[in-house]
Amino acid sequence: MDLALDSLKFIDLTTSSIIFLFIVGFIGGLVSGFIGSGGAFVLTPGMMSLGVPGTVAVASNMCHKFPKALVGAIKRFRYGQVDIKLGLVLAASAGIGVQVGIKIQNMILSAWGQAGSNLYVSVSFVAVLVIVGSYVFYDAMKTRGGSGKDETPALARKLQSINLWPMIHFKTANVRISLWFTLPVGFATGMLAATIAVGGFIGVPGMIYVMGVGGLVSSASELVIAFAMGLGGTVNWAMHGMVDIRLTLIILAGSLLGVQLGAIGTTLVREVMIKIVMGSIMLIVAVSRALAMPKYLAQLGLMDIAPDTVSLMEKTSFVIMCAALALGAVIILGAMFKARKAMARQAQEAYGQA
Amino acid sequence: MAQELTKKQALLRMVGFGAVSAAMFTLAFQHADAFTELCARGGMYAAMPIGAVLLVSYVHGGFASNLWTALGITAKAPAKTAQATQTKRPEVRATLNA
Repeated sequence: MDLALDSLKFIDLTTSSIIFLFIVGFIGGLVSGFIGSGGAFVLTPGMMSLGVPGTVAVASNMCHKFPKALVGAIKRFRYGQVDIKLGLVLAASAGIGVQVGIKIQNMILSAWGQAGSNLYVSVSFVAVLVIVGSYVFYDAMKTRGGSGKDETPALARKLQSINLWPMIHFKTANVRISLWFTLPVGFATGMLAATIAVGGFIGVPGMIYVMGVGGLVSSASELVIAFAMGLGGTVNWAMHGMVDIRLTLIILAGSLLGVQLGAIGTTLVREVMIKIVMGSIMLIVAVSRALAMPKYLAQLGLMDIAPDTVSLMEKTSFVIMCAALALGAVIILGAMFKARKAMARQAQEAYGQA
Repeated sequence: MAQELTKKQALLRMVGFGAVSAAMFTLAFQHADAFTELCARGGMYAAMPIGAVLLVSYVHGGFASNLWTALGITAKAPAKTAQATQTKRPEVRATLNA
């Protein structure tokens, strides 16, 4: 059977592009296994930089995301970190958020065109990442300097004390809260997932600061949400024939190695490391997306900027985005290495005393 | 000893899963064009990419998991809560009160 692929839809794979996708897949998987999300924000533009059309890049990325999240969730479930009920409750409202997010995207697309849609995505990226990322990072530094243990935030304590029917008890998370307070968290996760493809940047902080779930259980349960949303999205994209299975398989080969390593990492390091990694990545990605904004402002006629400058800013934006992911991986691997070294030292001391 | 045995088992499993995984990837990429076209037909053919990634995640995921175990990179066991061990009551000995 001799089948020629549609060259407009499917790129020719080179050795360098295979290596690039495998490495980004591995690092993205590592970060996802550790903080529950991430990787997608580099993979989609990364594939597009190789010449993959936007829709195929999004579809292929999503098709690798749900099995990766499934493997990560199973691994972390074995460590007693996943609250399946919490993940499924939030995934249900996230599904509605995704639909609303897509509707808003379509409205903006028809009113202001592709440049307007891109600007909306970038503004959402910068606004959410700066606000939420700054708070996560500030809280991580505060916790790191203090006892190093997570305490229930004041807002979550207040919401947990309101007995509004129906109350839900999440056993693993050890949280009892009204269903009504879980809905905005799930909805915002879905909205963000439909807008910037990384719902976890709202989902995990939402679980921590609004619902009062610990960082470890939040990041692990986020994988359940990612699986549910990823599967739904993949069915949709695959039915439209947009998945390039070659790209998906290469990324998956790397990310399955990374996601398991990241999951192991959560058992070795202090819980506060999850917030440090998440906060750092969010703030650096915000800078990257801010650099991409002038291009869209110029396309809409709202800003006058030289094409060379736009091109330079675009390249810098992509490099900074990759750097954000790489930094996250370095922090995780560094923390794991330090933790293992400390464990080995403790074991040696105990052996010496015996 | 038990740790070594686990590592050995993991190594064997890693080789097994790795061989199947390598065979699957080789097969998929030897017929890359036909397989990609089949997965991108849309409609009911959507089951193809979904089934493929689930199969890969089981086989390659099994390989990855055993690879880290074989390399000695394993999760830290959760701290066990100190259980009160039943102490043996001291034997009653006959004493002579002088």
